[in-house]
Amino acid sequence: MTLLAIDNLETDFVSRTLDDEIRVAHALNKVSFEVNRGEIVGLVGETGAGKSLTAQSVLGLLRAPARVVGGEAVFDGRDLLTLPPAEMNELRGYEIGLVVQNPRTSLDPLCRIGDQLVRMQRAHRPVNGRVARKKAVDMLAAVGIPEPERRMRAWPHELSGGMAQRVLMAMALINEPRLLIADEPTTGLDVTVQAAILDLLRQIVLERSMGALIITHDLGVVAHYCERVAVMFAGSIVEEGTVDAVFETPSHPYTRALLSATPERLKLGSGRQLGGPPPDLYNLPIGCHYRDRCERVRDICTTPPPATDLGEGHRVQCHFAKDLEGQPL
Amino acid sequence: MNAIGDTDQTTATPLAERRPILTARDLVKEFDVGGATLHAVNDVNFTIRQGEIVGMVGESGSGKSTIGRLVLSLLKQTSGDVTFDGENLASLSDKALRALRARMQIVFQDPWSALNPRMSVGRQIGEPLLLHTNLSRSERRQRVERLAERVRLPAKFLSRTPAELSGGQLQRVCIARAIATEPELVVLDEPTSSLDLSVRAGILELLAELRRELGVAMLFISHDLGTVKLISDRIIVLYLGTIVEEGPASLVFGAPAHPYTQALMSAHLPPNPRAPLKRHVLEGEVPSPINLPKGCRFASRCPVALPECSDSLPPLVATGEEDRRAACIRIADGGNRLNL
Ligand SMILES: Nc1ncnc2c1ncn2[C@@H]1O[C@H](COP(=O)(O)OP(=O)(O)O)[C@@H](O)[C@H]1O
Ligand SMILES: Nc1ncnc2c1ncn2[C@@H]1O[C@H](COP(=O)(O)OP(=O)(O)O)[C@@H](O)[C@H]1O
Ligand code: SF4
Ligand code: SF4
Ligand SMILES: [Mg+2]
Ligand SMILES: [Mg+2]
Repeated sequence: MTLLAIDNLETDFVSRTLDDEIRVAHALNKVSFEVNRGEIVGLVGETGAGKSLTAQSVLGLLRAPARVVGGEAVFDGRDLLTLPPAEMNELRGYEIGLVVQNPRTSLDPLCRIGDQLVRMQRAHRPVNGRVARKKAVDMLAAVGIPEPERRMRAWPHELSGGMAQRVLMAMALINEPRLLIADEPTTGLDVTVQAAILDLLRQIVLERSMGALIITHDLGVVAHYCERVAVMFAGSIVEEGTVDAVFETPSHPYTRALLSATPERLKLGSGRQLGGPPPDLYNLPIGCHYRDRCERVRDICTTPPPATDLGEGHRVQCHFAKDLEGQPL
Repeated sequence: MNAIGDTDQTTATPLAERRPILTARDLVKEFDVGGATLHAVNDVNFTIRQGEIVGMVGESGSGKSTIGRLVLSLLKQTSGDVTFDGENLASLSDKALRALRARMQIVFQDPWSALNPRMSVGRQIGEPLLLHTNLSRSERRQRVERLAERVRLPAKFLSRTPAELSGGQLQRVCIARAIATEPELVVLDEPTSSLDLSVRAGILELLAELRRELGVAMLFISHDLGTVKLISDRIIVLYLGTIVEEGPASLVFGAPAHPYTQALMSAHLPPNPRAPLKRHVLEGEVPSPINLPKGCRFASRCPVALPECSDSLPPLVATGEEDRRAACIRIADGGNRLNL
């Protein structure tokens, strides 16, 4: 069952030059994808692709000069993009849990861990103090924090990176949201800690039949923890589908370059150019936005590539998707 | 000095027969933290041969960066010796040590903070040449241009400041600077950890090429197991400042012997949904390096620990396969295997 349906989301940066000319950067271009109950969806792409911006747009967290200019994001029958701020604040942290990029800045340094977890519950519903504290301790235990009672009294600066990330996960989950959006929840953590946090996330998603969107640039995380994946390049979803389909028959040249650049598949000495500068959002190439970096580019690529449906929700934005499907990397 | 990039070292002597360029013996580093002693590096022994890439892995805080600085004498050890090409660094005069610095260099994780934001990147690449050679200004300039070409940095960037370059380009600047004096050893401390996949791939490609063509040895520190596996000949696994396993990359990754190495490798997620995961999630926390356990440092988290593991520190001994060493008393009877 669909929990969140993002449809043709468009976000611009509008700014004024010194000569008073208006400049517009198309940061998100017709972004569409869905998150269903009981599944984890991965959103991948290089730095600057627009992954965080997608989450911020959906959750009403954009700051000027960024502005949503089109599309919808339907959660539970309501379009989040047009929701009044008060209603959005009520949803966020309650029905939609959020783990933002960079744990250090998102815990209140002047407030003990336990108090933050209690405050999080009371921000949305009146809760008896003892009940709230009990729930906080249980949540800390559930995210794998040893000696949760003692940790309730800890200050954020006393936590290691892995512990801080678990506390953030506890904060995002304490109100039993139906949807979790986590932006780079394990980036920079040791693999052993990452494994524990992702195992926990998967268990909770299944038990409560929540939906989760995880933003990451780690394809290993996507391969093993997500059901579906959306690949973003320069503010567009260029490929999406089940993890099996996208990893086994990657059909967009960008996805293929990304997979070829993983150390597990990288062939040193091949001399193949896998990256390149991102396109200028103020001046995107006409037609396919990937064409300046594409190994397969042809004349036709100056026209916008159609969304090609390869079946079972495997969608690819490339003129040659059908040719590339099933070709070895 | 001979020209950069003109020699091909691929047909040279097999690695195992090459001369050691760097040897660390009984290396110990303690830090004084508010009156207590933090044991960051404990009796570490290893060798890097000419032209060899040694990967060093371990969780954050396991002592990787400290070892990287100790071997370059950027940090003074508490005890033990570092020998570079036969010379004990501790016995050298300041002047001799300064001269030796031309032969060993370092590249850090974060190229933004490793470079001076106000100086052109070309000048920064040329700095070691100014310091260590008698080249004239124009010779230096020429050499910087060749170095830029060597690391595939377009020459037009040389006159720019770091803010005008991308992360990947800046890391190329740092690498060009590190190889300017044709060092025999470069320590790379998480050189690709802050870079995107495709940019990282380009840097790895470059490093492999530099090793092949210049024969430079590398100590490659990283917590990204996939990257270390790809680039390294040999692997050193650290736990709490102690080497728990060391050996050829294929063996350490393919059939890890020490229970900690097994758990670490099992947490790695290859980007292939069909690759079976044989996960072994470790319980418990890493002990404090201020209060090191007496026996095996991994005993508090080891799934196959025996009571005697806590009696004394297991020595790092040959396991009998190729030249692998591991520090676990259960290897002898096969009890070291986790039920993965
Ligand atoms: N105020 C702004 N004006 C113009 N562009 C911006 C602004 N803030 C962010 N951007 C751009 O928006 C793009 C998307 O950023 P982001 O969503 O953070 O990427 P990701 O999370 O995928 O790394 C980036 O190219 C970034 O440079
Ligand atoms: N200058 C210092 N003063 C005190 N403790 C330090 C210092 N540098 C490193 N340490 C400690 O030494 C241990 C090893 O650190 P480090 O070498 O940075 O590990 P790694 O690079 O593997 O993450 C850690 O416990 C760290 O906190
Ligand atoms: S449409 Fe053309 S330029 Fe774009 S990804 Fe496909 S082949 Fe490459
Ligand atoms: S010596 Fe004992 S505690 Fe240490 S790794 Fe081996 S079995 Fe585990
Ligand atoms: Mg981001
Ligand atoms: Mg380090």
